[in-house]
Amino acid sequence: MSTAAQPVLSLVNVDKRFPGVHALKQVSIDIRPGEVVGLIGENGAGKSTLMKILSGVYQHDGGEILLSGRSTRFADAADANSQGIGMVFQEQSLLTNLTVGENIYLGNETQFTRLGIVNWRALYAAAARQLAKVKVDVDPRMRADDLDFAARQMVELAKALTLEENAGGHLVILLDEPTSVLERAEIDILFARVRALKERASFIFVSHRLDEVLELSDRIYVMKDGAVVADLKASEADVTQLHHLMVGRSLQAEYYREPQQRPFREEVVLEADGLSLGPAYRNVSFKLHAGEILGIAGVIGSGREELTRTLAGFAPHDGGRLLLGGREARLNSPAEAVDGGVGYIPRERRVEGLVLFLSVAANITLPDLENLSSYGLINGAAERRLAGGWVDRLKVRTPGINALCLNLSGGNQQKVVLAKWLNARARILVLDHPTRGLDVGAKEEVYDLVRQVTAEGVAVILTSDTLEETIGLSHTVLVMRDGGITHRTAANPGEKPRQVDLIGHMV
Amino acid sequence: MSGLADRIGTDRLRQWLPLVTLIVLVIIVGTMQPVFLQPSTLLQLASDTAVLFILATGVTFVIMLGGIDLSIQSMASLASVIVALTVARLGYGAFALAIGIGVLAGLLSGLAHVRLKIPSFIATLASGGVLYSSALVISGERSITLPDTERAYQTWITGTPFGIPNVIIIGLVVLLVAHLLQSHTRFGRYSAAIGAGEPAAYASGVKVSRQKILAFMLSGGFAALAGVVLAGRLASGSPTLAAELLLPSIAAVVVGGTAITGGVGSIWRTLVGALIISVVRIGMTFLGVNIFAQNIVFGVVLIVAVATTIDRSKIPIVK
Repeated sequence: MSTAAQPVLSLVNVDKRFPGVHALKQVSIDIRPGEVVGLIGENGAGKSTLMKILSGVYQHDGGEILLSGRSTRFADAADANSQGIGMVFQEQSLLTNLTVGENIYLGNETQFTRLGIVNWRALYAAAARQLAKVKVDVDPRMRADDLDFAARQMVELAKALTLEENAGGHLVILLDEPTSVLERAEIDILFARVRALKERASFIFVSHRLDEVLELSDRIYVMKDGAVVADLKASEADVTQLHHLMVGRSLQAEYYREPQQRPFREEVVLEADGLSLGPAYRNVSFKLHAGEILGIAGVIGSGREELTRTLAGFAPHDGGRLLLGGREARLNSPAEAVDGGVGYIPRERRVEGLVLFLSVAANITLPDLENLSSYGLINGAAERRLAGGWVDRLKVRTPGINALCLNLSGGNQQKVVLAKWLNARARILVLDHPTRGLDVGAKEEVYDLVRQVTAEGVAVILTSDTLEETIGLSHTVLVMRDGGITHRTAANPGEKPRQVDLIGHMV
Repeated sequence: MSGLADRIGTDRLRQWLPLVTLIVLVIIVGTMQPVFLQPSTLLQLASDTAVLFILATGVTFVIMLGGIDLSIQSMASLASVIVALTVARLGYGAFALAIGIGVLAGLLSGLAHVRLKIPSFIATLASGGVLYSSALVISGERSITLPDTERAYQTWITGTPFGIPNVIIIGLVVLLVAHLLQSHTRFGRYSAAIGAGEPAAYASGVKVSRQKILAFMLSGGFAALAGVVLAGRLASGSPTLAAELLLPSIAAVVVGGTAITGGVGSIWRTLVGALIISVVRIGMTFLGVNIFAQNIVFGVVLIVAVATTIDRSKIPIVK
């Protein structure tokens, strides 16, 4: 502990329980003035619960929060704000139909109001001063949706800094995955601004990207299973060490389970022949074989996202031919895709993947209830047996098959999504960013399962957040640009294409 | 999400609250008016609850999906008119006709909701208006008394073999059928899934539109059955016969503990809710409350029920 300064914010043995989950166990954390504190941990380690307690969404049930040495709690977001806690969230919270200035002072217009009339000129002048603090060149009268993500992030930072005016003490700004939608150059700018603002505020920086946490933080807290397991100086830590502390094991060379990659079979399960959809993509042709993982690489706007949605039944093609098991098909709805043996594992796991308020069992059997029914009635005993079998086989960590999916961690939720398609005997799985938001350990479990099911003959269409993952998992990689396929290559174990070679075809 | 997570935790207690309320109400009314606890009064209570329960059962299917059907009372009234007008010619066929028209009306409301993408609130408010006016037109704006010669066709509703009124047995059959539909069929499971998370249900291959239309058809069919039963009990059909039943029906569903937002609920809860409404109604009659003032009580009960069955303090935004 380098400085002797009194912490701005201290958590002392903070405890939080949810039904069935002990989310935070005696967590103690200190934030000193002008410090950037990194907070890392796997999904389910308790980071988001902690952030939600600090931003007033949840209240702790045990322990104490000290703000400048004084005990306090945050009743809601407005209360946290008024006590000097600002937030910049990963899901950006700007209202895109309002101007930048309106956003910055949303809910705090009173200072510019006389007799109920807002003095817009004064508000925009004040907003411009806030924007100057973060050195961002944005007209406060612009609408938020005219800004790119990087500029919006800066506006959020400027908005958080308005708390200086009301909160008496030192500010603490929570940065929750602020870099997830930013490009590298934008991240550099954001980090530079954060460093420049350290005189005005302390920061808590949450990210999955360990290199960024090391780069920006002064100190790093590592959380695991709801408890703080390490408190390190960033200058004395490295990625391998952090990773080891987080998951209790180290990154291995066989991360993507390449040794388990088996040659795919002869049988063609899906064929696209000159497939087209409006301006999104055109003349796309490929063959997908049983047991093959076909990765599609491409930047935003390349058409790969729309192609994925077509194969899952959300966006029917309007040109060319799609053959499922040799028969021509047009997938007008997910129901038709499911009937054709296609299962979709969406990026929005909690929205499209699972019905969170149904049980694990009900989610697993949802696409295939037909086969569990006789004379119109669902066979409850068979359903329980089936669901229990999948939970065991995929090692889903859940209190039971009747637990709501809401209460599972991201990785276990993803296993339930996978179980539901395996139960429905899907022959083709469309994996749409299957490891998004998962921590390293959960990712590895997903990779294992994907290898297992392909060994059994299931074919996979994969789009992924990282090129590394696409290359590592796939048998074949297609590269798309501007709606067309620009490159295709085999990706056999030991002969994987290099990222740089693919990038050349992407941009 | 936090509010919802907490809600699930307290649900174990909350789900028994309606039943406890019912028992407490029965004890209160029974203490003040011991005659209330006599078997004949209780049978009367059950008979009086049947129509309300059948109406509420139909709309429970729609509410489970996250929708609402405001046309049920107009449908019930129209069904009573259809029976009164056609029973002389069609005999038992009149009942089938009335229920068939109920199912058809539900189909049309459902199509308007699903195909034209109109919120169910608006679609059924409009179709309710259509049904109400249709009843006015075909009845000549008057109440039609069933001729004595046709009363025989009503004994399946009004009879009392073995000391138990048939209307109670009809209610029990409805309970059984609705319970099977909701807890043991794909339709019931899909409804819960759609009510709790429509995008995920859709992505899982559930034919969402079809389930929604089915729910509205059930709601229309049960509403018509309620109208048929009511016509039998009152020996008449009228375009305003069920005019005061919409509020108590929806109150019954919600008082029973089915979430108005969908996904959570059951037909048993609706039964308890309907009994609570009936006990309150009869209790008020015993206590001498003006019958026209009763909807004041139901309105207040509805608000209190929604406010207490779900811990709303944790839900930040209500639209």
